Amino acid sequence: MQNPYIPMPVEVTKIVTEVETNDIKTFRLNFVNKEDEENFKYLPGQFAELSILGKGESPIGIASSPTQPGYIEFTVQRAGTLVTGIVTTALHDLDVGARIGVRGPLGNSWPIEFLEGKNVVVVGGGFAFTTLRSLIHYMLHKDNRPRFGDISVVYGARTPGLLCYKEELAAWEKRKDIKMHVTVDKGDANWKGREGFVPTVCKEVGPSPENAVTVICGPPIMIRFTLPVFFELGFAKENILTSLEMRMKCGVGKCGRCNVGHKYVCKDGPVFSFAELDKLPRDF
Amino acid sequence: MLKKIALEKLGDLVSALMEKGPLYAPVKGEKAVDFQEITNPADVILDFYNTAMSPKFAFFPQSEDLIRYRLGKEATESEAVSLDAKPSVILGVRPCDAKSFEIMDRHFLGAGIIDPYWNDKREKTTIIGYAFDPSTAADPADFYNTLGISASDTAGSDIFMIRTDKHLLFKGITEKGDRLLKELSVLEAGSKTDEKTFEDKAKKGGEVKTRFMEIQDKAVAGKLVQVFNNKEFWEKATAACISCGACTFVCPTCYCFDISDETLFRDGVRKRFWDACMFTDFTLEASGHNPRPRIFQRYRQKVCHKYSYHVDKYGCISCVGCGRCTRSCPVNIDIYSIIESASKL
Ligand SMILES: Cc1cc2nc3c(=O)[nH]c(=O)nc-3n(C[C@H](O)[C@H](O)[C@H](O)COP(=O)(O)OP(=O)(O)OC[C@H]3O[C@@H](n4cnc5c(N)ncnc54)[C@H](O)[C@@H]3O)c2cc1C
Ligand code: SF4
Ligand code: SF4
Ligand code: FES
Repeated sequence: MQNPYIPMPVEVTKIVTEVETNDIKTFRLNFVNKEDEENFKYLPGQFAELSILGKGESPIGIASSPTQPGYIEFTVQRAGTLVTGIVTTALHDLDVGARIGVRGPLGNSWPIEFLEGKNVVVVGGGFAFTTLRSLIHYMLHKDNRPRFGDISVVYGARTPGLLCYKEELAAWEKRKDIKMHVTVDKGDANWKGREGFVPTVCKEVGPSPENAVTVICGPPIMIRFTLPVFFELGFAKENILTSLEMRMKCGVGKCGRCNVGHKYVCKDGPVFSFAELDKLPRDF
Repeated sequence: MLKKIALEKLGDLVSALMEKGPLYAPVKGEKAVDFQEITNPADVILDFYNTAMSPKFAFFPQSEDLIRYRLGKEATESEAVSLDAKPSVILGVRPCDAKSFEIMDRHFLGAGIIDPYWNDKREKTTIIGYAFDPSTAADPADFYNTLGISASDTAGSDIFMIRTDKHLLFKGITEKGDRLLKELSVLEAGSKTDEKTFEDKAKKGGEVKTRFMEIQDKAVAGKLVQVFNNKEFWEKATAACISCGACTFVCPTCYCFDISDETLFRDGVRKRFWDACMFTDFTLEASGHNPRPRIFQRYRQKVCHKYSYHVDKYGCISCVGCGRCTRSCPVNIDIYSIIESASKL
C-alpha cells in the first residue's frame, strides 16, 4: 500500500498568472511516474496536499477536471495578511520545470450522482472558483453533458482584473449549453459586462428551485449574503452545497486538526450541504 | 497459560526480554516514574502508581521522521523513512492505559486509511499489563471505574501481570502474549494454586474504587451537544485554564499531531509531532481566521471530542479515566468534574 503521508513527485509544466494583482497563479503539474498518474483518480471538489520539501504542505482544491487527462491543475493564492504564507509563497516562486510533490486525491467531491438529472446553479466568488471550474469542465464534457439538466453560473470578482480563468469564461459565454452570469463589483473603462455583487445577481437571475441544486464557493461574506437569496427562492438546505475550509495537515483524517463536531473536513468533507452543516456544532 | 517468576529474579526476566528487542519499562526519573527503553535491567521498578507520561509514545512518538532530504540548488533528493520497527515489549502497563491502545486503534487503524507508522509499531509490540495493587487506594484523580475499567482489567494487554508477596504471575491473554510466554525460559510454569491466586487477586482488583459516576456513552455524547452553546458554562469551567496543553500531552488517548519541515543548512526532515487542540494557533488559518480563538472554545473542543464526537465517530468515549490530565494541570482543571456538572445541566 502507498504510504499516504509520502508525496508523489510531479513537475510544474505550466504557470498562468490569473489576476492583475499577481497573487493568484494556476499551476499545471505532470506526474513524474506514469503509475502515480494512473492511480490519481479524482472527481471535481476533491483536493490534494501540495508539498515542497523544506517548506511544508498546503491543501489546495483541484482546479482541473478528470476529463482533462495527463495533468492536474491547482490555482493558488499567495496567502497571508500579517505574515506571508510559507508554502503558497514558495509555490509562487517556482518556475516551469520545478519538481514538487502531491498527496491525494483527498476528501469527498461534489456529489456527481446527486447532481445528475438536475439543474445545476454554480455560484462562485473570487478565486474560490477553483473546484467549481473543475465541476464545470466535468459537466460540459461531451460524454457527461447529457447527464445534467440546465447549467447556469454566477461568478463574481471585485474587479475585472481579479476574475480567474478569463479565456475559459469567454469560451463558456459562447456556448448554448451553459448560461453564464459573470459580474464584477466595480467595472473599469473596458468592462462591458455586468456590475453587481454576487448575491444581487443571484436574485436577478432568480433560478427556479424545481429539480435544482446550487453549489456555492466564495469568501464567507459572499456566502453569508447569498444563502438567504437561495432560501427565498425556495431552495431546500439539502440542495445548497458548499466546500468548507479548515486548517489542515494530514488531509487523511488522522491528525485531528480539521474537525467540526464529529466530522473531519479533510475526509468527510470538504463538500457539505447546508442541511448537514446545520447538524454540526457552530465551530468553524 | 500461566507462568511465574520469583520477585528477586525480576532482573533475569528483564534481561531475557531485552534479548528479544527493545524493552520499555517504568524507570524512576528525577521527578517521576516514566517508561524508558531499558539499558540496565536494574533500572526497572515495579513499585510505582502510574507513569507521568502515558505509554502511547511507543506507537506514537512525540516526534517521528517521515521524510529525510538534502536541499539542493535545483532538485531535492529525498528518502521516505522506512517502517522497520523492531519487535518490542512494554512491561508494566496499567489497565487503563492498556485499554487506551484499543481506543487509539479505532482511530489509527479502524477507520479510513491505516496509519502506517502506528500500525508498524503496534503490530510488533507485546504489551505486558500490570494490575494496580489492590492494597493501595486509587489516586484521587483517577476515575477509570467510570469508564468501565477495573484495577485488574486484562483488556488491551497481551500478557497480564499480577504481583503476589513472593512472585510475579503472568497470564497469556492473546496469542501474541502466549507466544512470548512460551519463549521465555526464565519463567516457571504456574501451578493450580498459582492460578487460583491469580484469579483471587484479579477479583480483589475489582474492589479498588476510583471516582465513579454512572455514564452511558450515547447519553453523555448527546448531552454535550446540548450543552455546546452554553457559553457561560464553558467559560466558568475553564476560567483558570492557561491553555498550556499539558493535559493533552500526558493523555493516552490524545492523538493530534502536526506535520512540519525542519531544515539545518542543507539537511531537512519532514516530521510529525504531537500537537494539541489547546494551542491558540492549532486552527489558525493563513487568512488570519481562527474558528477557536478563545480558551473556552478549545477546552470545549477537547471535552466534546473525547466524550461526544468520538462516540459518534468511533462508538466509544476516548478517555480511560487515568487521571493524568488532572494530576498534571497547573490550575487543577478536572475533566471528571466538568463531565459531571455538564451531565447535571
Ligand atoms: C480543502 C481546502 C481547499 C483549499 N483550496 C485552495 C485553493 O484552491 N487555492 C488556494 O490558494 N488556497 C486553498 N486553500 C487554502 C490554503 O490551503 C491555505 O491558504 C494554505 O495552506 C496556506 O499555506 P501557507 O503555508 O502559505 O500559509 P501559512 O500561514 O504559512 O500556513 C502554514 C500551514 O498551515 C496550514 N494552513 C494554513 N492556512 C490554512 C487554510 N486556510 N486551510 C488549510 N490549511 C491551512 C497549511 O498546512 C500550511 O502549510 C484550501 C484550503 C482547504 C482546507
Ligand atoms: S493542563 Fe490545565 S491549564 Fe493546561 S491546557 Fe490543560 S486544562 Fe488548561
Ligand atoms: S482525558 Fe485525562 S483522564 Fe481521560 S484518558 Fe486523557 S489524561 Fe486520562
Ligand atoms: S487534516 Fe488531519 S484530520 Fe483533517
